[in-house]
Amino acid sequence: MPSTVELVQSLVNGVGTGLVYGLIAIGFCVIYNASGIVNFAQGVFVMLGGMFTHAMLTRLGWPLAVSAFVSIVVVAAVGVAVQIAVIRPMWKRGAPLFAIILATLAVQLLIEQIVILTMGDQPRTYPDFSPGGPLKLGDIAISYQLFWILGCGALMVLLLVLFFNHTRAGRALRACSQNREAAALLGIPVNAMLMLSFALSAALGAAAGILITPTQYTAYSVDGPFGINGFIAAIIGGFGSAPAALVGGVLLGVVQSGAIVVVGAGYKNVVALTVLLIVLLFFPHGLFGGLGKRV
Amino acid sequence: MALLTVRNLTKRFAGLAANSDISLSIPEGCLFAVIGPNGAGKTTFFNMVSGFLAPTAGTIEFAGEDITHLRQDKIAAKGLVRTFQLVQLFKGMTVAENVEVGCHLATRGGVGAALCRMAWFRRQEADVHARARELLAFVGLAGQAELDAELLPYGQQRLLEVARALAAQPRLLLLDEPAAGLNAHETDALAAVIQELNRRGTTVLLIEHDMALVTRIAQRIAVLDFGCKITEGTPDEIKRHPDVIAAYLGTEEAAHAQHG
Repeated sequence: MPSTVELVQSLVNGVGTGLVYGLIAIGFCVIYNASGIVNFAQGVFVMLGGMFTHAMLTRLGWPLAVSAFVSIVVVAAVGVAVQIAVIRPMWKRGAPLFAIILATLAVQLLIEQIVILTMGDQPRTYPDFSPGGPLKLGDIAISYQLFWILGCGALMVLLLVLFFNHTRAGRALRACSQNREAAALLGIPVNAMLMLSFALSAALGAAAGILITPTQYTAYSVDGPFGINGFIAAIIGGFGSAPAALVGGVLLGVVQSGAIVVVGAGYKNVVALTVLLIVLLFFPHGLFGGLGKRV
Repeated sequence: MALLTVRNLTKRFAGLAANSDISLSIPEGCLFAVIGPNGAGKTTFFNMVSGFLAPTAGTIEFAGEDITHLRQDKIAAKGLVRTFQLVQLFKGMTVAENVEVGCHLATRGGVGAALCRMAWFRRQEADVHARARELLAFVGLAGQAELDAELLPYGQQRLLEVARALAAQPRLLLLDEPAAGLNAHETDALAAVIQELNRRGTTVLLIEHDMALVTRIAQRIAVLDFGCKITEGTPDEIKRHPDVIAAYLGTEEAAHAQHG
């Protein structure tokens, strides 16, 4: 049996990764709610966020804040490009949702290959945002990066809640998610809103990738695991509100990290998927019921 | 001057004509009604005018501009806004928020504005808020502003839909069977709202099944039956028109036969 210290430590680590899963999950929800599309290229945005930031830090020597900001903007542009080049044409031709979702999977693999060819396949990382640490509370070590993840995560969720509830574009996006026809007939450009949702969720993914990279590493291949874990978190949260997705992410992160300590690292994904199955069996609309509201 | 001019509008579904060769012209400021028995093609007509269905043939002109093949949101942006036969509110939003979404066209700016021009943006948000309250007061829902929209009784949901459509500042408001499913009291409240907004300058095109309501409030009426316009005139002319009487009695007899 692991000691109490080990368990608490794994809980702390799990909250950090879980918040990152939560941010990715919010990205899934934003696109899904605006369009009904599950965007499997979501993990790519996470990977690109970390990769671009690393490139700007090391090759261009830019300061961290600038590198992070620029890569979020560039990844948001990639999101818009995916919407314009792939999603919109399929949408216009009346492609079934299933085909569009498969296309997002193809986009993921395509971008992965482009990254290998242009940036290489070597994993890379960069230091924590603040030097020093970890903070010692008795035997528990909390890395400074965890506070960055907590702070930035909370700030982003707050901004999102404000955006969705108190801005014109946010309200229009919610209106589209409730009823696209009625929204269009009130003069809301539904397609532009879909583009906005891709930009927003790509930016969220990039931010998640930038925050998590110092605690692990980034490489062309991290999009798969992050995408899947973000997707699981979104399902646990019920594809509903941003806070629900965040709770789903933290739950998943904590369970995974607990599993590493209790049954070994190899079981990480076995446990994650078991949690997903249990949630779906007993709460088929997600823990917060968000999946039930959509027909 | 005509605000809306429809020429030879036709819609065929798999060869079956739902609308054939409908022409009509709605003057600015008019409260115009299109009536007809169930299945006469009223909603098809409405869907084409609002850009929801593409016509098989014919043209639609709004304020002197051809809007026949325009996208729905562009049509709305030109000032032609509709409501639905079945209430289509934004669930999960409050009554006030539903109206605020309707203000979309009347406001400017997006995320950038929200972040950069805080003072200006706040003022606009306050304006949107105030305007939503004003419209809710106009339709008599001021007291329910903070309720979940889906919790409203059906009659009030309809009034809310009208308020939301008005928030988009339409020049022409299309109302699709607004009295359907309402009791006499609710119908009266709705009729008063429609007449008042028309008096304040909004042109109204009303599609209705309820003859009594239409002849009471409309200034001009067109009658559809089997997808064709059979006549057009003032309420008094319509009430006396033999074809109209036949069309309505005909369907009632048919309905009796079906139910009996």
